[in-house]
Amino acid sequence: MIIGGGSVGLMISYYLLKKGVKSIVIERKYPGSGNTYKCATGIRASFTSKEHIALMKRSIELWSELRDELGVFYERSGYLWLLSREEDLRTFKTYVSFQNELGIPTKIIDLSEVKCLAPTIVIKDLLAAVYDPLAGKASPFDLILQSWRLLVEKGCKVLAGVEAKKILLSKKGILGVETSAGFIESSTVVLATAYDTVKLLEPLNISVPIEPVPKHAFITEAYRDLFKPLIIDWTTSSYIVQTPHGNFLVGSEIPERPSDKLLNRLEFLRKASKVWTKYFPWMKEAYLLRYWTGYYDMTPDHHPIIGPLDDLEGLYIAAGFSGHGFMMSPSVGEVIADWIAEGRPRVPEALNLSMSRFKKGKLIKEIAVFG
Amino acid sequence: MDSEKVIVCRCEDVLLSDVLRAIERGYRDLESIKRLLRVGMGSCQGRHCLPIIARVLAKTTGLRIDELNYPSSRPPLMPIQLKYFVSDGNEG
Ligand SMILES: Cc1cc2nc3c(=O)[nH]c(=O)nc-3n(C[C@H](O)[C@H](O)[C@H](O)COP(=O)(O)OP(=O)(O)OC[C@H]3O[C@@H](n4cnc5c(N)ncnc54)[C@H](O)[C@@H]3O)c2cc1C
Ligand code: FES
Repeated sequence: MIIGGGSVGLMISYYLLKKGVKSIVIERKYPGSGNTYKCATGIRASFTSKEHIALMKRSIELWSELRDELGVFYERSGYLWLLSREEDLRTFKTYVSFQNELGIPTKIIDLSEVKCLAPTIVIKDLLAAVYDPLAGKASPFDLILQSWRLLVEKGCKVLAGVEAKKILLSKKGILGVETSAGFIESSTVVLATAYDTVKLLEPLNISVPIEPVPKHAFITEAYRDLFKPLIIDWTTSSYIVQTPHGNFLVGSEIPERPSDKLLNRLEFLRKASKVWTKYFPWMKEAYLLRYWTGYYDMTPDHHPIIGPLDDLEGLYIAAGFSGHGFMMSPSVGEVIADWIAEGRPRVPEALNLSMSRFKKGKLIKEIAVFG
Repeated sequence: MDSEKVIVCRCEDVLLSDVLRAIERGYRDLESIKRLLRVGMGSCQGRHCLPIIARVLAKTTGLRIDELNYPSSRPPLMPIQLKYFVSDGNEG
């Protein structure tokens, strides 16, 4: 049984089904209603830890398969980091050589190449950029709606509007879960519940180091294709991506504290508009259609918590994705399915990401977390 | 009424028959139908189409309106151009 019907929960169920295991997913509202439908759709393996890179290399292979198997929109249209400070260029050179050693094809590019990738961009304040041609974007709507339908067609259960209330233990391990629709028996339970994982495990005296940090995004009306890559302005921690439909989805960092309420802030709209209309002056005329807020489920080392819990047999966690859970959902789904069906994940680096790393003090460091 | 000829969402050009097919395929809440067909994602943000589609969904499934996951309203109330957030003065 899987609690949480976001990208991670549904992908766990999907890869379990590929191993012949039929699962039940319970989702408090409707599939995708958590962070998944709010995300910026970006997918990349260009990280700065071997754990993230290994999981994302596998995920990128799986994203191509999902495009073929489920008809999910997925495109390797690249990521572009705009750099305007000498010190950032130096830091990125270190990242690029680290990534190249691990087989990720990032490269520093000059401004004429930036112009080729985004013809309408104004480059006057820029120094250089970093391009990752392996990165891309996918539709969270397709991923959720198509995997959900397939799971149900193949005899799995996806129960929308059912909330997990309490995990019940037996002498040996797990008995099942008390839900808003009654007790559901299961000796294996996976928590794919983002920051709500904290609340579900509190009664079992297990404390999970995940904090929700508010993030803001808006979307404009649709335009014809103007640029393919997801673009990040490193100096202001802002990003922009054109959706397959043509809308521009924009995010930008503003000061927020963990657990702050989700409030609409004019400061966000002003900062994000200022950054992107400077690069794309024509955007001043673009109409903003919708503004939303969501949480990143952050862990102390900005890496997810995935895998079984040492001291409670049958309980697995897949949460704390710190802003990257959509892109990781295929490979995380697969490694959790491996763990449940075969006892070990196929991506060995996943072993470093279990809860026990916090007890053992073996935190993982990542320098690049975006918008 | 020919459902192939009735447009339920003007902004995104979606037919009544598309909505009925989605319901038939098992999507039974408005939030999911919105992401499947783009109804409610146009420039009126569903002000015109969602009430109509809610009624179609309630009638076809027998669900109550409050069981349909009616999408939340989010700012802005009307589409607004980005230039109004970019100040031309000297301040931040
Ligand atoms: C603005 C923004 C931009 C982002 N951009 C990107 C991006 O470009 N790329 C990327 O990879 N990631 C991005 N992310 C992060 C990404 O959205 C999440 O990491 C990802 O969706 C995680 O999926 P999930 O399944 O873990 O969580 P969720 O989608 O939040 O799913 C968890 C689900 O569990 C359910 N749930 C919780 N408690 C219970 C309970 N007790 N009983 C039943 N159900 C329960 C919730 O309702 C929810 O649907 C972004 C996030 C935000 C907010
Ligand atoms: S009529 Fe459907 S979004 Fe405007």
